[in-house]
Amino acid sequence: MSRFLFVVPPLTGHINPTVGVGGELTARGHDVAWVGHPATLEPLLPSGSRILPALDDRLEADIGHARQRWLELKGIAVLKFLWEEFLIPLAHAMIPGVQDAVKQFQPDVLVADQQALAGPVVAIDLGVPWVTSASTPAELIRPLRTMPKVDEWVTAQLRELSGSDVDIRFSGLLVLVFTSPLLVGDAFPPHYAFTGPALAHRPENTGFPWEWLSPEKRKVLVSLGTLNGAAGHRFFREVIEAVTTMPDVQAVMVAPPLDAPHNVLVRERVPQLALMKHMDAVISHGGHNTVCEALAHGLPLVVAPIRDDQPIIADQVVSAGAGMRLKYQRARAGDIHAALNGVLYDPDFAACARRVRESFRLGGGAPAAADRLEAVVA
Amino acid sequence: MPESNVLDEVVRLIVEVVGEDVLVGIEITPATTFSDDLGLESIEFVALADRLRERYGDKVDLVAFLGEMDIDQIMAMTVGRLVDHIEARPVVSTG
Repeated sequence: MSRFLFVVPPLTGHINPTVGVGGELTARGHDVAWVGHPATLEPLLPSGSRILPALDDRLEADIGHARQRWLELKGIAVLKFLWEEFLIPLAHAMIPGVQDAVKQFQPDVLVADQQALAGPVVAIDLGVPWVTSASTPAELIRPLRTMPKVDEWVTAQLRELSGSDVDIRFSGLLVLVFTSPLLVGDAFPPHYAFTGPALAHRPENTGFPWEWLSPEKRKVLVSLGTLNGAAGHRFFREVIEAVTTMPDVQAVMVAPPLDAPHNVLVRERVPQLALMKHMDAVISHGGHNTVCEALAHGLPLVVAPIRDDQPIIADQVVSAGAGMRLKYQRARAGDIHAALNGVLYDPDFAACARRVRESFRLGGGAPAAADRLEAVVA
Repeated sequence: MPESNVLDEVVRLIVEVVGEDVLVGIEITPATTFSDDLGLESIEFVALADRLRERYGDKVDLVAFLGEMDIDQIMAMTVGRLVDHIEARPVVSTG
């Protein structure tokens, strides 16, 4: 029996992989706790999970407002904002709570999401072994290698935060990566564990009118993720226009209420994992969770990346042959129609998606991640 | 090569990288910024660098040019600065 503490930012996509891994560890008899923003964590974790606070509602709201401003930025300004207005302030805000959580819970290992930098800072300070949970693999390919001064600028902020030369984005013991080498490449040291997505143990309490889905139609899920959904009106309207001219297609759209034709169902929340089992394709912004959930079900994708790591994830999907890429800002109904036709009716896309699914299966998912975490303690 | 031609070429290559549709409603001038106006991501800068090298040869190395810049300089980088950079170097002839 060991004690594992997950340190997570207030972001659904970063919490979800830890739910699967934490559930597996719990099933094996280990003691597991999460530290972060309680109100964000509670609906994502099984009831009765141990949650320790490191971010109160006011600070979480401040960060949420900052992210709204962030959605208006473009290009390199997005990166500057990510570090200066989000990751570093979030780390400072979470450090006291993570310190208290470590003292109270006494973990054998601290598992820090790559955007919860308070985790490694506190772990180094208190001498607790720490591992990295890379909920997106984008940092692994070193996207800033062609801009060395920008890369140095990032490193300098990390050094100032941690007071050490250790790159706190990457544990030297174990880096859990919830995808496969087929998507990311295989030039990584052995302590990088590619497990595929960890989808088990996730509570899904959202209802859905299952009878709406018709067995005779091709079915598409349209999801722009938890952060970009409200800002996606133009894109949603173009998707609706595209699908209007496709009578053999049904689309389930995760969006705020919108006027839609009879073959489009708009819902603000859906049980996404359960829905995947009924779908034939997914239209996504390229969030790593949604993309990997689709591929884990062998579903081809149309990816319209908005920002952050999404262009990188979209490229990985296209390179694997499992989908087509669109421009989020500019895609018109005709472009969306053509791309959707491609992934729904050209069997090559689905065949490549199933190949990715197989690579995920070989990764071993949450049980493989739990094996690797147990080995860190042993 | 006259300045207008280099600007036209750079605009053409930007269109290839970011897509024709991005330029609907945007007039690219020497004052247009890559980051804020055109929304270029780091990987698109690399794609543009490849096209510039194909067009002007190894003497035009956008990656090396950006490599000397800090984040604020990259954010302020304009189409005009790239044009100046290309014109400041001898264009490699095919001869």
